[in-house]
Formats: sequence, structure tokens, C-alpha cells
Amino acid sequence: MSQTLTPPAPHAAPVHDDPEKRPITQASLNDDVLKLISLPGKIWWAAFIFDLAVLGVALAAVRNLIVHGWGVSGFFRPVMWAVDITNFVFWVGIAHCGTLVSAVLFLFRSHFRRAVYRVAEAMTVFGVLTAAMFPAIHTGRPWFDYWLFPYPNQRGIWTNVRSPLEWDVFAVNTYLTISSIFFLVGLIPDVAAVRDRARHPVMKFIYTLMSFGWSGANYQWKHFYGAYLFFAALATPLVFSVHSVVSWDFAMAQVPGWHSTLFAPYFVAGAIFSGVAMVINLLIPIRKAFKLEHIVTLDHMEKLAKLVLLTSTMVGYSYLTEFFMAWFGPNKAEADLFWFRATGYLWPAFWTMFSCNVIFPLLLWFKGFRRNMVAMFIMCLFVNVGMWFERFVIIVTSLNRSFDPATWFHYTISITEIALIVGSFAWFFMFFLVFVRVLPAFSIAEIKETLPVPRRGNGGH
Amino acid sequence: MIGAIQKMLFPPPPKFYGVMGIWYFVDDAAKAVATLRQAGHKNVQVFSPVPHHEIADALGEGTSLVRWVTAVGGVLGCTGGFALCWYTIYTWPMVIGGKELFSIPPFTILGYESMILAAGLSNLLGMLALARLPEIRAAAPYDPRFQEDRIGIWVACAPDKAAPVEQMMKGHAAEEVQIHA
Repeated sequence: MSQTLTPPAPHAAPVHDDPEKRPITQASLNDDVLKLISLPGKIWWAAFIFDLAVLGVALAAVRNLIVHGWGVSGFFRPVMWAVDITNFVFWVGIAHCGTLVSAVLFLFRSHFRRAVYRVAEAMTVFGVLTAAMFPAIHTGRPWFDYWLFPYPNQRGIWTNVRSPLEWDVFAVNTYLTISSIFFLVGLIPDVAAVRDRARHPVMKFIYTLMSFGWSGANYQWKHFYGAYLFFAALATPLVFSVHSVVSWDFAMAQVPGWHSTLFAPYFVAGAIFSGVAMVINLLIPIRKAFKLEHIVTLDHMEKLAKLVLLTSTMVGYSYLTEFFMAWFGPNKAEADLFWFRATGYLWPAFWTMFSCNVIFPLLLWFKGFRRNMVAMFIMCLFVNVGMWFERFVIIVTSLNRSFDPATWFHYTISITEIALIVGSFAWFFMFFLVFVRVLPAFSIAEIKETLPVPRRGNGGH
Repeated sequence: MIGAIQKMLFPPPPKFYGVMGIWYFVDDAAKAVATLRQAGHKNVQVFSPVPHHEIADALGEGTSLVRWVTAVGGVLGCTGGFALCWYTIYTWPMVIGGKELFSIPPFTILGYESMILAAGLSNLLGMLALARLPEIRAAAPYDPRFQEDRIGIWVACAPDKAAPVEQMMKGHAAEEVQIHA
């Protein structure tokens, strides 16, 4: 009896033929997660250099925009928002999933979140950083962007607090601040584990700073979880408010296709839809490349797939409601606009959106599809393409076909805009590639809480 | 060079007086904490890779006070957000569509966002202050196993009182007991 209750050696590595069923112990979890933090190999460097090269091209495009003005991008009245604001809304939407997974599911005590939330949270922070660039560039003179904030000045001028664009400044900056704090606070106990293994003194010093000298003492855990609960409670309404505010950038204007009370829930559902799809796209290669199928299991991935399916139906319902209201309502401009969206010269964008967001995700009703990682990866790529086109369709079709036919305009995308789209992905992945190599991409402390507690009274478990 | 940096960044740990016991099984550790507290040791500290309710109960820990700091921050943030709107709209009056300058619906959005921002920041500061972070000087001897799978119980005491504490810990099946004297 006493033999079976001997504590295991600290690094007894469990083995199993099926990677999904490899058992996890508290010590082996540290080994599995911390092995990501090592000197990167050739594939990582190739990806990183390629990413920086693409980003370089995008930065050259931004330089052209700033030096020569917005004319080089092909932005003309009335389509002045086009790709910039499409990118902004797309990346804010991507960012929303992180807070959904980390905060909302925390409050609902959904344990599957523990295996996936760190990647989702990192995606949130990098997504908001990417999104925030676009309004900043779009002002045309980014060195005056501080004008967006209310501050006392000698002219006695203040920002217009009744403008949805000013609400956006408050909402997005609050979201960036709170999601960054949530991400960094959640990292503290895990970074302490990295610190303990760091060999290089400079790296050890950096990790010591980031871990705030965490020791795992009882008084630290008590206040850590006391605060964590409140971070989740604060972040949850923030998720819904921020994308609602983003939707009101459009809905407050009396432009056909925008002026709708449906926009807030429609945008929030769309944000979660694209965000969860992006998390799946990020997790599938990571779990495969680092052999973490026993930590992020097929069951976890399937639950995420169900979230994609749920939000897909909500987005599809919103599309149909918009068309129904345009047909049923008295506004002729609205009816004309929706007919134009589906059949006008931008019909490929509309039908890409509709197929990728509503029709293809119907395959997720099949369990076999949800558990096939190759199929899921491709599906989620389609979803993100569809969601980018959703924002493009909302913005461009409405702006280029407003009430007065004299203002109608034939929009074509420019090379500069394409560089901005591709560059936004390069900017996002630059952060993400560094993240997976320098910080724990999975929450060691929270996953440990899901493992059986070692008890002598339970025969060791 | 690296040695000098190491010395500067990581000075030698301070001298501690007391007993550190190390456990693997949570129930053994929780019983040890209860016994130590019953024996009159009120300054027991527990280190673990994850928090355990039974150890928190044995320590007699209450609820974190961070909630009050967060609430105060939230109230101040909300008030500040509304005050900002009120002040700026009357300092730089822009009448739009003949409507009232003081517009509650848009001000609610800014007040709400400011409330969340200030509550989140005060939650962070409250947590750091109450959890004594950043911990510049260690409160007890540290062992990296506390971040993996072992639980440490530290009792600060004078060297002459270490022997009974050591006995108590061994009586509760401590894997290892270290006396710092």
C-alpha cells in the first residue's frame, strides 16, 4: 500500500501510443508547454522572415499613403472608408473571440476553455493592436492622432462626445487596455515557471520582471483569483459593448444598409464567429507541430467548432432579417441597396460572404467533419475570408450606392489596399510568431486545475 | 561579465529562520497546515502550483478584499466619464440638430466605458498591492518545484523552536523537511 502511494518522481514522462490519450501529470504539463519556449528552428525563421518581408511591402504602401495622400489608394467620394475600415472592423471582430473564450466561458465555468484560452487571449491583444492601426492611418495625418483624445488645449476645443467615432475611441482603447491587462495578469504564474527554467541571466531577469516575483504563495493565489474573477466580470460586458459601439459607427448614420437596430447583436455574433474560426486556425498547426494533442484534445476542438456553428446560424439569421426588412419595409433606397448587394457589380463579394459564412458552415452539423482537423482548418479559413467580405460588403456597397444616384460610384480595389490587407495579417502574425516562442502559449496553472488532485486519501489521485 | 550581471540582477537570497516542508499529496499538506495552526503557528505560508480549497480552508483564508478596490474604481470611473462629457459639452458647445447639449444616451456610453477602464485598472492595482506584488524580497525560501507539482509549507520560527515543527511536518508525511537556522 505504501509503495503505491509514493509520490512520483518530478519528471516521470508518461507515454502512450495515441497522442490524444497521452496522460498528463502536473510536472509533465510544465515540460510539454515550456518546450515551445526554445530557440526556434528553420521553419520558424523562414516563416518570420517571410512575414517581415510582407510587412515591409505594406509599410511601403503606408508610406506612400502618408506622403502622397489617400488618392494613391483609390479612395474617392463617396467610398472613403473601403478597405481601411473593413480591416479595422475585421480585426476588432477577430479580437473579440479571445475575451469570449477567456472571460465569458470563465464565468460560465466551461472547463474546455482552459486548454485554449491563452492562444485566444494573445490573439485578442494582437488583433486589437492590428485593428487600432487602421483608423490611425486613415486619419491621413497620423502624427495628429492625439486629437482623437479629449485633452485640454489652448484653443478650448474638445472632442465631440456625441459622435459614434468618439465612442469608438473610448471603447477600443478601453478594450485594448483591459484585454492586455487580462492577458498579462493571467500569464504571471506561468511566466514564473518559465523564469525558474531560464538559463540565460538576461532572459531570467526579463521573466522575473514579468512574473512580478511570483512564488505561488497562498496570499498571492487568493488575491490573484479574487481579481481574475473581476477581470472576467468586467471584460464580459466590455466584449459586447465594444463591438456594439463599432456597429454604431455605421448604424448611427442614415445610409441605406447601415441604419438598423439589428447591427449591434449582428456585429457581436459575427465577431465571435470569425474570432473562434481564427483560434481554430491558430490552434490546429500549433497542437500538431508541438505534439500537444493530449492538451488541446479533439473534444476541445469540437467544442470550438460548435461555437462556430452556433454563431454561423446567428449571422445567417441576421443576413436574412436584413433582406426581409428591406423587402417588407417602406424604404425604397434600402430595398434597392439590398437588391444591388446581391446582384450588382459587387455580387462576387456578396456571394463569397454568404457562401463562406452561411452555406459552407452547414457541414459543421456533422460530427465527423467537426473532428477532422484538416477539414476544420480549411473551413475556418473560408469563414475568415467570408467575414472579411462581410465587412467589405456592408461598407463599400452602402457607401457607393446611397440615396442620390448622382453620387453613385464604381469602386475598384487598388494595389495599395491589397498591400494593406496582406500587411495587416503580416503585422498580426509577427506578434503571434514571437509570442509562441517567448511566452507560455497554454495556461499551465489553469490546465493543472483540471487534472486530478493528488490525494493520499484517494489512493494517490 | 555575465557573472557580474548575474550578481547585480540576482543578489544572494536573504537569510531565513524557520522550517520548510515539502508535500506531494494535497490532503496531507492541508492536515499539516491545520495541525500547525492548532499548535499556535499563525504565520504559516503555503506555496503551490495551483490554489487548493482545502488548504485555503485550513489556513482560514477569507475572501479577497480586491472587490472593494475594484468597486471604488468603477464608481469613480463612471462619475469621471459622465463629468468629462458634461464639462466638455458645455465648454465647447456644439448644437446639433437643435437638440439638448446634455444628451444622456451618448454620455452613458462614455460613462460606461470609463467605468470599465477605471474598474479594471483599480482591480489590477488592488491585486498587486494585496498580493504584495511585485515581490522584491522573498518572504520565504523558494523552491522551483512549487511551480511544478509540489506543495511547500513554511513556518517562520526561531532556531530553537524548529525541532517540534519538523516533527509535526514529518508526522504528516512530508516528503522533505528543511530547517533554516
